[in-house]
Amino acid sequence: MVLPGLASLPFGIGFGVAAAQKGLNPFETTLMSASVMAGTSQMVALDLWARPLPLLALAITVFVANLRYFVMGAALQPHLPQLPWYQQPLVWYVTVDQNWAVNIAEYQRGRGDLGKFVGGGLTMALIWTCSTILGCIAAQGALSDPALVKRLGLDFVGVAVFVVVAAMLFRGRRDIAPWVVAIVAALGAKWLLEGNWYIVVGGMAGGLFGAFQELRRDVTGGYDGR
Amino acid sequence: MAADTLIAIAVMALAALAAKGGGFVAMHWLGRHRFVSAWLRHAPGSVLVSAAVVPLVHGGGAYAAGAVAGVVATRAVGGFTPGLFAAVGAVALARWAGLA
Repeated sequence: MVLPGLASLPFGIGFGVAAAQKGLNPFETTLMSASVMAGTSQMVALDLWARPLPLLALAITVFVANLRYFVMGAALQPHLPQLPWYQQPLVWYVTVDQNWAVNIAEYQRGRGDLGKFVGGGLTMALIWTCSTILGCIAAQGALSDPALVKRLGLDFVGVAVFVVVAAMLFRGRRDIAPWVVAIVAALGAKWLLEGNWYIVVGGMAGGLFGAFQELRRDVTGGYDGR
Repeated sequence: MAADTLIAIAVMALAALAAKGGGFVAMHWLGRHRFVSAWLRHAPGSVLVSAAVVPLVHGGGAYAAGAVAGVVATRAVGGFTPGLFAAVGAVALARWAGLA
């Protein structure tokens, strides 16, 4: 899992830079990366990071931004039905995109190994955490000049992550209407509400619309959604 | 380290763990609740486009160029890293060319 872990290096450095710009020091950034271990949601949470810290909004945003892991965990459970309860939190912790993808494929081929899953995940956690420290330190040294950060386009890293991961998740026609609803709801919420609740409002609206659309299609027998 | 920062990070860690572990724990009834399953299929993408759209609307031409480059590179080359480099590189290039 070293190579997929290294793929997160630029994102981790970018997160570290963004965290430093929000006033987090290297220790706080390290603690957040090591304990949350979910880069996209950490980046979304930084958008909300302003004093007084909005704990409820942070919790909802991080939970909703990580809902894909809910599905991944559900897919993993049948392969680990006898897993003792005290080992389960570690398995949840290492359930991250690339580690899950590689290991679920192994489980489906009958070659799954819990040690490889946990070890790979911990390796990725180490690389992710170290890369965010690098970014945080660079932001206080070489990248401490906001004009330089802007000239290099690094102020765009946070938004770029959302755009790129959304492009990766896009499944075609069935995603268009829910995403349009999400965009309209987010823009409306930004106009009507203080702060960054637009992420939660847009995410909930798009998700609910997509679910209603999918269930209605099942009832009326529309296209299969692909 | 401020206490509110520590609490906020702990809240985030618990929320992430709840999302990751929730599916594992709830697997027994997830399959029977079709609406929850359908919502789970659509929510992550909706969160991401919601998070992206407001900064993009306010970000000017350079951000728009970065978003287009990121989407094209991700879909054409595939994968996270090429898309991220293309997006950030396009913003730097656009600013070098004089876009805001």
